[in-house]
Amino acid sequence: MSSSILRTAMGLIFPLTLLFAVYMALKGHNQPGGGFIGGLIAAVALVMVRMSHGRDVMASVMPFHPRLLIAGGLAMAGVTGVVPLLFGHPLLTSRAPYVHLLGEAIHVPTALFFDLGVLMVVVGVAAGMIFRLGGEVDPA
Amino acid sequence: MASEWIVLFAVLAPVAFGLLTLWLPRGWIEPRMVLATAGPAIAFAMLLNTAIDNRSALQAQHDYAEAQASHNDHAHGDEHDNSHAAEDASGHHGHADSPADHHSESVHADADAPAPPTTGVLPWMPSLNINIAFLTDGLGLFFGLLVSGIGTLIMLYARGYFGRAGPTSADDLYRFYPTLGFFTTAMLGVVLADYTLLTLLFWEMTSISSFLLIGWDRYDKKAVKLAMQAFFTTGLGGMGLFGGVLVFGNATGYWRWSEMLTHSDELTAQLQHVGEHPQLLWAFVLMFIGAGTKSAQFPFHYWLPGAMAAPTPVSAFLHSATMVKAGVFLVGRLFPVFAALELFPLVIIPLGAVTMLYGGVVALQQHDLKRIFAFTTVSQLGLLMAMYGVGAIDYHGQPAIDYDVTQIANHALYKAPLFIAAGAIGHVLSRDITQLNGAFYKHPAICGTMMAAALGLAALPGTISFQAKELFLYGVYHGIEAGNVVLWIVLVMTVLTAVCNVAICVRVWTTLLGLPGGMREEHGEPDHGHHHEHAHEHGLLAHLIWLPGALIVSLQFVGGVFPKLAWSRMLGLFEQPATAHNYFASHYGGLPNLTELSIGTPLICSAIAIVLGVIVGLAKPLRGSIGDFADRIYPAMYWLSVTGGGRCFRLIQTGNLKHYLLFVLGALLLGFTWAVQVDLADNDGGMLAALSSDTAGNLFEYWPGILLGLIVCLTAVLIPMTEVRIVRVLFLGACGFAVVGLYLVYQAPDLALTQLMFEIISVILFVIVLRLLPREKLHTIKLGNKAWRLVLSCVVGGVFGWMTLIAASTDRSATNPGKYPLGKTMAQHSYGNKDGLDTAMAGADGPELRGGGGTNVVNVILVDFRGFDTLGEITVLGIAAMGVWSMMPHRRRRDGRTAKPNNTEQPGVTA
Repeated sequence: MSSSILRTAMGLIFPLTLLFAVYMALKGHNQPGGGFIGGLIAAVALVMVRMSHGRDVMASVMPFHPRLLIAGGLAMAGVTGVVPLLFGHPLLTSRAPYVHLLGEAIHVPTALFFDLGVLMVVVGVAAGMIFRLGGEVDPA
Repeated sequence: MASEWIVLFAVLAPVAFGLLTLWLPRGWIEPRMVLATAGPAIAFAMLLNTAIDNRSALQAQHDYAEAQASHNDHAHGDEHDNSHAAEDASGHHGHADSPADHHSESVHADADAPAPPTTGVLPWMPSLNINIAFLTDGLGLFFGLLVSGIGTLIMLYARGYFGRAGPTSADDLYRFYPTLGFFTTAMLGVVLADYTLLTLLFWEMTSISSFLLIGWDRYDKKAVKLAMQAFFTTGLGGMGLFGGVLVFGNATGYWRWSEMLTHSDELTAQLQHVGEHPQLLWAFVLMFIGAGTKSAQFPFHYWLPGAMAAPTPVSAFLHSATMVKAGVFLVGRLFPVFAALELFPLVIIPLGAVTMLYGGVVALQQHDLKRIFAFTTVSQLGLLMAMYGVGAIDYHGQPAIDYDVTQIANHALYKAPLFIAAGAIGHVLSRDITQLNGAFYKHPAICGTMMAAALGLAALPGTISFQAKELFLYGVYHGIEAGNVVLWIVLVMTVLTAVCNVAICVRVWTTLLGLPGGMREEHGEPDHGHHHEHAHEHGLLAHLIWLPGALIVSLQFVGGVFPKLAWSRMLGLFEQPATAHNYFASHYGGLPNLTELSIGTPLICSAIAIVLGVIVGLAKPLRGSIGDFADRIYPAMYWLSVTGGGRCFRLIQTGNLKHYLLFVLGALLLGFTWAVQVDLADNDGGMLAALSSDTAGNLFEYWPGILLGLIVCLTAVLIPMTEVRIVRVLFLGACGFAVVGLYLVYQAPDLALTQLMFEIISVILFVIVLRLLPREKLHTIKLGNKAWRLVLSCVVGGVFGWMTLIAASTDRSATNPGKYPLGKTMAQHSYGNKDGLDTAMAGADGPELRGGGGTNVVNVILVDFRGFDTLGEITVLGIAAMGVWSMMPHRRRRDGRTAKPNNTEQPGVTA
């Protein structure tokens, strides 16, 4: 599955795709996008690197086990949900304040952090499953 | 009133100290014993303090009420004076809540009933009516002191029983103390909890700890089986109690025992016309199932003799003195209110009386000491139940029976020592009574304890047991005098049971002393199975094997000989009889005095029982060792539920995927048809109208949508018609991409994007997984037997389309204010109309709402106002990934070939 054209192109595509994934996740609250889509996009990018460059390069791109992403994502979503309890609100209550940065009012909902947690879990699950199952068919 | 924290600490102390023992090194047996004993001992001290506090507080209240009432109580006459005499003799007045108290209200109508002494409430789950609060009335405190007091001594006895030198004693004690502490805490919780559901929680904990302790020997299959038997039986009762508590709470709105007691007048009125309040009847029946199974009443009594597989400290503690009395306790709790139920005595008296006589007769014909005492326990539990039943029959405005606490205390004070001595003698000689001829001369302390306790079993004069039996006989006789002739049967059954108990006592004495008439080997095969060889210990600690029993049994005689002391220092703390029994010439708070007995029917009955008992005990017949026919009840029930349940299970769970799908889809179609019917009949018929709405019309006129829809249908039909897996996967992918197109043309870009990414990943996954599967067998597809499945699929697909139309188009906001169509509701929750965002859709017609504050509705649904669902979903995703990692073998083939799965016969996914 490794062609030199793909391999060369991936060097350019991969960072751009990851950037796009984060962009999709960040703008999700008011425009098409969201953590789930972002996670899937990032997972596709990782899978493509895995297919074009093989396991060893993959290991240097992502030098940790995907389950760390899952654990981290779940923790992030969980903490986002629990924090409102400390202020006496129900679980997962969200606020959508505007943060003023460089003269711009930026819409930063607290649900964003929840969404980033979703992103991490989706990347971890999709990439992890494909790597594990794909380990069987690796061309040496 | 006691602080809830103090009682909570007392309840939790045993398990806390039990767990603390785990920190000690294994070999430190004596420090472990001291630490474990401290738990129940502390609980005992704190509860005793609470009891004394309660008494003085109530006494002050009572004195005040007396002073208020002294002007106008002459109308009550003699009766009232008598009760004054009784109270003066016992030196105190106060008592809150003996079951009798509520009846006494009819006598002392001028004094307000004191509120039950509850503690404060610690909120736990207020919305579920479970909070932490305790009811420290006489009954609860009495049981609490019984449990913690006997628990303290059993902790010491366990050290003597398991010994120091045994091969497993360190390991046994290591596990034993925490488990026993857990039970003690659970039992204290049952008797002290005020919230009904809290009681239930602790009730189940006693069942669990009983299960753990019966199956103590993990490698003994029989013991484990008996543990399951006990657990299933009492667990069934626990479900009954659960149902009863729920029904009672829902019917009355009372979720606390104290509420039930304070509203007893209202509840009594309802119960007297129970035909109009059938829920109360069901509540009683269900709760009684709980009480009856826990307290081993007749058809369910089999688990108690079976529970004797447990180590003897457990038998002495759980299965004679405390846990089996939880059912009796429950009936005692219900008694003040539910005694008004006409059914109450009709159910409880016959059941209790039959249990009583049956247990006595079977106990007489056993050889294993523990089985003998187990069946006498069954018998005594029957008597306690029957006592409440007799008490419910109201004669001339006063209950026919009082002194339930005396009855319960009496049994614990002789049965626990009997078990303790039986376990001890089983260690040094044998538990088979036919092997113990003349054992007294070898082990005088152990045998002396057993013989003394046997006197209590026989209820001979000079024991509390005698007083209790007199009181019971008097209660029954009182009933007969009042014209209830059927109670003669109960009287005769009581006497017969007493004959059995006296006969057992006579046999124990003659056998242990080696006198003629004792049990000898020729009466049956010796039973060597129960003899455990233990190295004999010396020194002070060796006496722990009998000393606790001797301590407990001594109370029997102290109370029996000095009733005044027993009443003022022990039992009078907990109960205050409504009326003094004129029958007894001298009564100290009601306990008959040994030196001043008056001749009457109860005394004659006792005398008859003793004479007959001596004759039966010395006689030759009835000495065999018989089985209990009820031992077959449980295996039969077990077989019926497991095998019969398995048959029923197989009818539904065929193991065939097609059948499961058929059930699910069929149920869906039926449910939907029913919903449409109901909608047409009782509502505006909007579900049917959705088919001809504008939304539907628009869909059918938009040709790109129709085209893409046709592609979806075509690929979907092609999937089952192809043979090669990889082609099917490709068709599946094509189907998915066509759906992406559908989303695009209907203007849902983020759904389209999500679906696109998902299709890519799923196709990659499929391709990878398919290469791992064994080579597929090609076979020609026959459409013939699939035709009806095709029809079903089409219908289900159509129904789903219909449902979507309903969700999209039905608008009932005209008739139901505030109920907007689905889409509008979602948009409103997402945008909010409060915080100044562009609120085009959520206009002024909606209620003030602070939504998620985002305009991407799908995303706001996912991460904001349905965020809890998403949290659950990503958790499931993580679990699924863990499943893949742990179940898929991580094998790497370096030679470039595809790894072959081990199981080549496994059919493919699509076969």
